[in-house]
Amino acid sequence: MSGSSSSEVVHSSMAEYAPLIILLPMLAMPVILFLGKVFNTNPTWKNTLKEGGIIALVAMGASLFISLVIIKDYIGSFSNSGDIYSLTWLNTAIWEGGSAITPIKFGFGIYIDHITVMLLFVAAFLCFLINIFAIGYMNTDPINDNRNHRFYAEFVLFCAGMLGMVLSDSFLWLFIFWEIMGLCSYLLIGFYYERPSAASAAKKAFMTTRIGDVFLMIGLIMLWDLFGSLDYAIVFDTANIAAVDSGSLQMALGMMFIGAVGKSAQFPLHVWLPDAMEGPTPVSALIHAATMVNAGLYLVARMFPFFGAESMSGELIDLAFIIASIGGITAVMAAGIAFVQDDLKKVLAYSTMSQLGYVFTGLGVALWLANSLDWHHDPAAHTIVVVAFGAALFHLFNHAMAKGMLFMASGSVIHEVHHAHHHLHHDDHGDDDEFDAQSMKNMGGLASKMPITATAMLVGSASIMGLPLIGGFWSKEGIIANAWRVALEDPRFFFPAACVLLGAGMTGFYMTRMWVKTFAGKPSNEVAAHVGPTNSWIKTPLFILTFVTLSSILLAGMGFTHWAPDSEYSFLSDKGLVDGIMYELGHAFANHDAFFFILTYVAIALSAIIGPFMAMSLFGGKLEEGEDCKAWFKPVIALNNWVYNKYNWDNSGIATSGLAVALQNRLYIDKYYDLAMVKIVAGFSNKVAEADTKIIDGAVKQIEDKSQKISTVVRSLTTGSARDYILWVAIGTLLIFFFIWGVA
Amino acid sequence: MSDPIINVELFDANFTTALCPELILVAGFFALMIIPNLGKATFRIPGTQIRVPYFLGGERYPIFANPRLPGWIATITLIVAFVSVLMSFDGGLQRYMIVSGSKELLLINGFSRLFELIFFGAIALAAIASMNRLQSFDSSDKSTNALYNNRRQADFYILLLTTAMGMAIVALAQDLFVLFLGLELASFSSYVLVAFHKESKEGTEGGMKYFIVGSVASGIGLYGLSMLYLWAGTLQLGELAVAFDAAMAPQGYPALPLIALGFILVGFGFKVSAAPFHFAAPDAYAGASSPVAGILATASKAMGIVGLTRMLLIVASPESNDDSAIWLVALGILSVVTMTWGNIAALGSDNPKRMLAYSSVAHAGYMLAGLTAIGAWNWDPELAGHGGDAAIMVMTAILFHLVVLVCFKLGAFLVLSILESEGEVSKMSNLRGLSKREPLLAVSMFIFMISLAGVPPMSGFMSKLLMVMGIVKVAIGNMGDAIFNGDILSIGDAHWVWWLALIMVLNSAISMFYYLRVIVTMYFHEPEGDRQGPLPSGWQVRTAIFACVIASVFFGINADGLIELCEMAANSLNYSWASQ
Repeated sequence: MSGSSSSEVVHSSMAEYAPLIILLPMLAMPVILFLGKVFNTNPTWKNTLKEGGIIALVAMGASLFISLVIIKDYIGSFSNSGDIYSLTWLNTAIWEGGSAITPIKFGFGIYIDHITVMLLFVAAFLCFLINIFAIGYMNTDPINDNRNHRFYAEFVLFCAGMLGMVLSDSFLWLFIFWEIMGLCSYLLIGFYYERPSAASAAKKAFMTTRIGDVFLMIGLIMLWDLFGSLDYAIVFDTANIAAVDSGSLQMALGMMFIGAVGKSAQFPLHVWLPDAMEGPTPVSALIHAATMVNAGLYLVARMFPFFGAESMSGELIDLAFIIASIGGITAVMAAGIAFVQDDLKKVLAYSTMSQLGYVFTGLGVALWLANSLDWHHDPAAHTIVVVAFGAALFHLFNHAMAKGMLFMASGSVIHEVHHAHHHLHHDDHGDDDEFDAQSMKNMGGLASKMPITATAMLVGSASIMGLPLIGGFWSKEGIIANAWRVALEDPRFFFPAACVLLGAGMTGFYMTRMWVKTFAGKPSNEVAAHVGPTNSWIKTPLFILTFVTLSSILLAGMGFTHWAPDSEYSFLSDKGLVDGIMYELGHAFANHDAFFFILTYVAIALSAIIGPFMAMSLFGGKLEEGEDCKAWFKPVIALNNWVYNKYNWDNSGIATSGLAVALQNRLYIDKYYDLAMVKIVAGFSNKVAEADTKIIDGAVKQIEDKSQKISTVVRSLTTGSARDYILWVAIGTLLIFFFIWGVA
Repeated sequence: MSDPIINVELFDANFTTALCPELILVAGFFALMIIPNLGKATFRIPGTQIRVPYFLGGERYPIFANPRLPGWIATITLIVAFVSVLMSFDGGLQRYMIVSGSKELLLINGFSRLFELIFFGAIALAAIASMNRLQSFDSSDKSTNALYNNRRQADFYILLLTTAMGMAIVALAQDLFVLFLGLELASFSSYVLVAFHKESKEGTEGGMKYFIVGSVASGIGLYGLSMLYLWAGTLQLGELAVAFDAAMAPQGYPALPLIALGFILVGFGFKVSAAPFHFAAPDAYAGASSPVAGILATASKAMGIVGLTRMLLIVASPESNDDSAIWLVALGILSVVTMTWGNIAALGSDNPKRMLAYSSVAHAGYMLAGLTAIGAWNWDPELAGHGGDAAIMVMTAILFHLVVLVCFKLGAFLVLSILESEGEVSKMSNLRGLSKREPLLAVSMFIFMISLAGVPPMSGFMSKLLMVMGIVKVAIGNMGDAIFNGDILSIGDAHWVWWLALIMVLNSAISMFYYLRVIVTMYFHEPEGDRQGPLPSGWQVRTAIFACVIASVFFGINADGLIELCEMAANSLNYSWASQ
């Protein structure tokens, strides 16, 4: 039978429920939208249901729960890669006989392996926490009144897109969900569409990622051409990979990588991301931590089986180098721009770009290793590949957690600064537009006012910087070490390796600068002095994420870093937890290899000492007299104050130097893009539009006109008189009669 | 189908089991005739003062005088009949043959059961929806109100039941005369149903035209039957099949039975509204109330397809590589003319009901193309080994199409029915702004339209896809193997029914235009001046529409079960081409 739908379960039984992870948020969208339209001003809807926030939360909570059960199931069973649950909508196989002709299958399937599990946790967990945060953030801002249902509807669809992309079993569905996310990012960044800046930021994000998407689509078409399918089950098959030409595969993967560059805001398609801060802060957290930017990383991580295949050995190293280099360039460039940003959220945006650059470098390095080493047979090489790949993915995890927390914390700061300003200037409405609640120039000394937020921000910053033992340290060290390991073998890799090492110091600088400018020192104006603590919807996720980030050492000890797409490696390997932690500590701080030993301490010195030290000396200062802070800040504030007093120097010369101005202007990249758009693309577009109106529309209109005329003629035969109808019946009968008579 | 067919004499042991749904309908007739008339009538025994109550007539009890009552009786009857058919599938279908002596009268098998489902389902939906039409005739004029009291309602619903009965007989018939009786029972009921709103000019006129043209077509069909009887001396389908088989051998068919079949085609062609016998249909649809038009477009069409299938399978299923191919050519031409004519006429039609009428003409064309392909399945003698898989596939597609057609075509008419209870629906502009007036109704109409147009993942897409794939499969026959073996084949090597598939696809593209126009009108145009605000209420019709929407979407996404059912029904036809 050629048309049928069926479902089949392979392996795990829990995977059967996996489609619900996507379906629940997806179904929540129309429900929220519909209820929001109907009960817009109803008090129950507003207060109890938080304008749909609670419905979204229930859906996301259920998704998270199912995800956790599936992850537990997966880890518990040490299942091999590729648990598949598929729903087939349509099977077609017109050609019968000839068994070699592959049937075409239309359907949706779930594919669960190590990478899926990792990203699934990140996405589901953060979406849920951000949802909690959003309820505290969005529903208390009067500007959002009566339209929060739109926010939550778009929010859940976005989450559904991310979860679907992670879970789907083919590149085709990956692309479909990828585009759903693209759409939602457009809608959410432009949530305040009445502001011209938000509208244009939304457009910019959409158009820039669209450039990447076109390449992704081209890459997928090429991949289809090579394999005749986009299903993971087919394209990741070793025998199938062995049958394709490595050059063509490299081209296809390269095209797909450009898509990832657009989505993850890497150089040169990074320009949309800072502008995307125009959206509400929960959206920034969603885009930068949980979903959108990770999509590009996920896509590259998904390419591992191609690089790891024996038949491709050594054939794809050029692409691996490009991936690593793009990551390296972005890491340094974005960190540089972050030096001079005054907008709290923009610092975080550039930091996101920079950290994603790290992950790309890590992935590129891991892919290089997988592609060049004989890791299928040599256990030592196997461990190296797995550790390198795991480091990259672990950095994705650490960054997602820390950055989600930082965005929520920054949102909390902005929220309260905004409220304080509102409160202070309640009577005079004059300067409302001029005050920028996001600018760090309007902050300072907030550590005493918002202890939870300041703690979260401190832990998050430490994790991003890679302070020893906290969060990102484990993964960042891994990436740097592996980059240098490869650099020793392939000299081209000195470039990305140097970039990530330099970037470590730069990260230390800009993250410290951000924290110090916001929380330490004296309040820079009246508003900052009146900031109060925040509400518990906002605090809860901050608290949870602080804990997760701090406990990163546990995950590292569990072998989390070894989370690689390999069937033979298990999570809790042979070691126990304590042994694991000891092993990781020894590995990090007392490496037997002298080169890596030195490298580790150089990196630590850069990121934890030199960078922060310089930032403190430039921007530090102690709290205002009489303001007290929690005990755990005291050393930080004291250190900061000491450095500031002792080593402070006037930086106005640097601040006005050419480089600083260029950085202020984002290295003029946006400007030249705009020029190119106006000069070349717009002109071309106008010509195309003209041709469309004249030729295509004209032809369509002609066809429509003519067919309407024919239709009128045909219908005029229906005269309305039964006599004529009988005549037609007679004519028809006679024609049939004579036809048969004539032939028979 | 392991169990053998059980022969049942009239009123034999298994009679009630076999004909359970039909007997339920008969019970429904009696209920409809008696219950609304229950009253306080008494009879005085002559010469005494004793009055014996006999309940029929007199001052009626209020509950039985309720104008909604007949509607409920008919609906419940039809639903019970529908469920009883469904239950007969439970645990494997037992096949029965109702016989009278050596004559086979009615055959109960998967095929006929499936059609019973279609008929009862469609008419039940129309019956539920018709209940909301009461209010629209509510006028201050007392005599008009009286006309619409429950007796008139009872008449309406009795006619619905007789239509269902006639159609069921057509589905079951194994004898052309029985089939003709059922056909005429259904036809006459539907003529009256079309003209039922006798106060309106369009209704009466449409009904009259439908009747006149219909009786001419029936006359021609009957003439064909008589010629067939003249030739074979029998009207039993089984015996006719044997006669055709015998006649086929080397010299080919004589002209008489072929011409007879040609005439019969005219009779059924009118029922499926194939061009050029369709002319009365747009008038009838436009004149009839929307639920009745919905029945004509779905159940009535299915009935015509049953007739055509029966004829075709007798005539064309024997080797088609000889003279009977003429028959195929005639049918093929008819299908092309029908689908093209229907679509082109619908393009410019400004009356939504006429547009749907023309669209149903086009759909008839698609199904005729399918029937042609079935007839052509064994054009290539080398295909004999394939056991008619392709033919079964096409038959499955036709059956699937008929089932899902009930969902979206009838559904569309029901949406119009709600608009109709507000006023005229004779212009596309009456649909304007429906999305603002009643968003859910507009969404339903949207789904029906894209389903009619065949947009994935709606059921209409699935049915068209199955049909096109089936036809192509028949047309290419073994070519897939040949290509695989390295032979180079051109399109000319395929059977000509391939062109039917192509024309069908092109026609689908044309049809997008007028279906989408409805959507544009609903969503992008402001409501007409005097037609603002929400539409008349009525949960019954909305329930029916909701059921149609769910089915339209469900059978598109998860067609598995229904396709299996249709495949079983197609297999159970049990003619020579079927694999079992």
